[in-house]
Amino acid sequence: MVKRKSSNNCNRRIRINRGGMEANTLAILDSNESHKDSQDARDDSVDFLEAVRTASLLPENGTPPTEKMVEAVFQILRAGKSLELIMSSYELLNEIEKRFPRVYMSESSGNDSRELVVINEAWLPFVVFSDVMSSEREATPKNSDGLFDVNGFHELIQGLAELANKTISQRVDTESLGNMLLFQYLVNVLEEDFVPRINMYKETMNWNLLRECLLNMLLGSRRVNYKVLMKDCLSTICGLCQDHAGIVDESEHSETSMGKSYENHNTDVAIALLEVQKTTCLAMQKLLTMIMELDMSKKQAHMEGQTTRADGVRTPLAEIILDELTYDRDILSPFLQVFNDPKWKLEIIVQYFLKYTAKPSVRTRRSDVTSEDSTLNRVLKSFSNGTYTRNIIKKIDVEAVQLLLAHAFLAYLSISSQQRLPGMSDCKEDENSSLMEISKDVIAAFNSLRGADENIEISSLGKEALFTAAMIISTTS
Amino acid sequence: MMDIDDPLDFEKEDPFLINPVVSKKRKKLIGLDDLLSEHYKEQSKLIEKEAKKQTKAQKSYDSDEDKNGKEAKLSSLLDDCQEQMKAMSGEEELSEWGIFVFGEQKTSPPLSFPELGSWSILKSFMNNRLNSLVGLATEQECSFLEGLLINGWLLKLILKCGRVEKSIAAWTFSLILYSSKEELRSSACEFWCSILSSKVQVGVPPIVIDWFPSYRELKSALEIYGFRFNFSSNISVKNNSVCKGPPQNIITWIKFTAVCCQVRCKQSVFLASDCQELAEVIICLFLDRRVQGLNVLMSNCLQSVISSFTEEEWINCYCEIAKSLASRVPMDLNCLRAVQCISGVDPRSKHLRSAVAFQILVNCFENEVTDEEGILTLLISINVKEKACDFFKMYLYVVLTENWLQYDPMLRDKPVIREMWGLFLRNCSCQITSTDLRLHASKVRNKAAFLLQGAGNN
Repeated sequence: MVKRKSSNNCNRRIRINRGGMEANTLAILDSNESHKDSQDARDDSVDFLEAVRTASLLPENGTPPTEKMVEAVFQILRAGKSLELIMSSYELLNEIEKRFPRVYMSESSGNDSRELVVINEAWLPFVVFSDVMSSEREATPKNSDGLFDVNGFHELIQGLAELANKTISQRVDTESLGNMLLFQYLVNVLEEDFVPRINMYKETMNWNLLRECLLNMLLGSRRVNYKVLMKDCLSTICGLCQDHAGIVDESEHSETSMGKSYENHNTDVAIALLEVQKTTCLAMQKLLTMIMELDMSKKQAHMEGQTTRADGVRTPLAEIILDELTYDRDILSPFLQVFNDPKWKLEIIVQYFLKYTAKPSVRTRRSDVTSEDSTLNRVLKSFSNGTYTRNIIKKIDVEAVQLLLAHAFLAYLSISSQQRLPGMSDCKEDENSSLMEISKDVIAAFNSLRGADENIEISSLGKEALFTAAMIISTTS
Repeated sequence: MMDIDDPLDFEKEDPFLINPVVSKKRKKLIGLDDLLSEHYKEQSKLIEKEAKKQTKAQKSYDSDEDKNGKEAKLSSLLDDCQEQMKAMSGEEELSEWGIFVFGEQKTSPPLSFPELGSWSILKSFMNNRLNSLVGLATEQECSFLEGLLINGWLLKLILKCGRVEKSIAAWTFSLILYSSKEELRSSACEFWCSILSSKVQVGVPPIVIDWFPSYRELKSALEIYGFRFNFSSNISVKNNSVCKGPPQNIITWIKFTAVCCQVRCKQSVFLASDCQELAEVIICLFLDRRVQGLNVLMSNCLQSVISSFTEEEWINCYCEIAKSLASRVPMDLNCLRAVQCISGVDPRSKHLRSAVAFQILVNCFENEVTDEEGILTLLISINVKEKACDFFKMYLYVVLTENWLQYDPMLRDKPVIREMWGLFLRNCSCQITSTDLRLHASKVRNKAAFLLQGAGNN
């Protein structure tokens, strides 16, 4: 059930107010059309942002800002004239997003079931239309008003991927910072649209809800090479996280014992960059996870016969990631380091191992969440077999095996600590015993690696995994 | 599904319904600017006339060459005129906000932790037979623990065994404050944040933390970063080489402080007086341009501090915060920044925003008056026609008063106050002419006009 709201649901008085608010606030920007780059123009932009905030966010029952107002705020973020403007427009956009959601689930009242409310009039930073329409629109300019279509989105991510290849000091500029925040905002918009839809989908199993989500429409466009886009996402997330290591090396040489502060002029950008890089990685992880969740739901809908030919076919992201990780061993370690969604991390690692075991019967249905730990179990158990172990270290080198084992164990630990929800306390015994078993199996797997080849050096991550496994066994028993 | 309230097709096309006020009001505001530019145009016309007069006087030499020469002269005159106009508007720029809240960094305490080896889990592992595989020796303990921390094992272990021993707590805490390694300090910060905010679960005893940092330690770290608790005395330090801003540890400092405040109801790390000082400190951080990139973190932290008070503490504290801030913040754009950085989205921060604005106003008038009507009377009595009128101050007054009245529900609805506020705004918007070229006069006028429009809309 989708309820669509349009502007006429709000009463007339509010609209009159909004009209006044729009005219009033936008006039602040208009007054300086003539000299756009001056300090005055920047001051006006700052005043404008504050005015929008004051008008729509601060009153207890404030009216949402009009499309034009939000658009103007967005353009300030895109233009990225100064750090101050970037930061405040970014904050304001997110605040608006949070306060006036475009899609939400209505409260269940009485015997009415909850339904999805979609505000159609709300402004969007994306232009999405189905491909059928786009072929007709080919003539129209691609970037209308600087909004993002799938190509624009891809370009932005490509820019980030290039940025991730640069050294830290090359990244310290306002433009890179602005692009990263822009990306975070866009992911935030996608998420705010996706989360209520997928929750509703899980309740109702109605694929239409997800088919219409922004993310699906964006990725469904045939005007972009989806695989290349995903690979760019991967290299961005791996590149940006690797550079944290870069900072460590630099500051180790500096004399002060505290984190070094950057030389003079760009201090403000540099200190912001440190934090923004990290949040960009998180946003990228969020994007990847959402796509994988979408893939999974699509597969499910497909099995139930809800999809049509119009839904198209897309390689599931998990497979693309898996291929990339096998193809390019260098990104295996950074990817596992930075990608922290335990459920998908575990899934990817298990599939990675299964790729080399060539036992198709082991593949479980991906939609079956509960089977996941048992699958890890099975992977670990297979290490008890000496031939298997020797086989696998022939195919995947021993470093990578240790890396995968350790990260799988970490992900498993995260899942098991997350799943301890109230009401589940009675299964604590089971949970402890399965945790015990996994820990023992991890130790056994490492022992078996050693057994296969005496000269194997246990990596430091491997040692940490062993330590943790041993201590979990001793504190639980 | 179509909603029954949806418009009929023709309704959509009705321009009046969609945006009834826009065109009218916009025109009005643009009109003011038009007036100003017209004024400039007139000035240049005068010059043109002057030039024409000269042309007439020298009519007899009306050859083509001469014409060119005169044109050149005229255009240079016009250029001069433009230059002057530019210079005039250039003066009008308000200086930027920004104070060097952080001065020179001090040397941080050494990071050595001989007692780390006493962590019971580490000790018990030494005797575990698995150590033959791991080969952990006493001298590697510290680097091994760093690995456990960075990769997240430490957190998993602690969550499992349910206890943070003193050695671990103190070690991770000082990493947050003083480690130069980004990975270590952010992992340590994540560790503390997860431990502090871990939910109490049914059937699982809460995590025991043997040692808690105190506010004193957070404060002294801030001092080592170069934070000046009374910066108002030496704002003049403008030499970048002397103070290059805080170390990167300020990021983890802010995050950690925020989490401590969020859990204050169940784990009281700070006293009310500590929180009071923290609120001031965070607002002061907003004044340093070098950390403005951390706005999101600082807003979140300020919000956490404000919500950490109990209702009783809040009533006693918020006024003190406002008074103390007002006495520190210089009377320039910085005082507006101090007010505007308070988010104002929830009742408490509205309260604080209003109180801070009010206290700064009281300070502006050197504490002569401290009651609402008194202040408004003083504001109304300012004669904007007077030559010596300081429009920069006027601008501050307008913004401060707006924030003070707008967010105090008690005052906002008082008829007398509303009346006086309206009068003050009309004074500023009507008595200052659009052609007033005095410094900042147009800024005051525009702001007041904008506020009047807003008041009209509500």
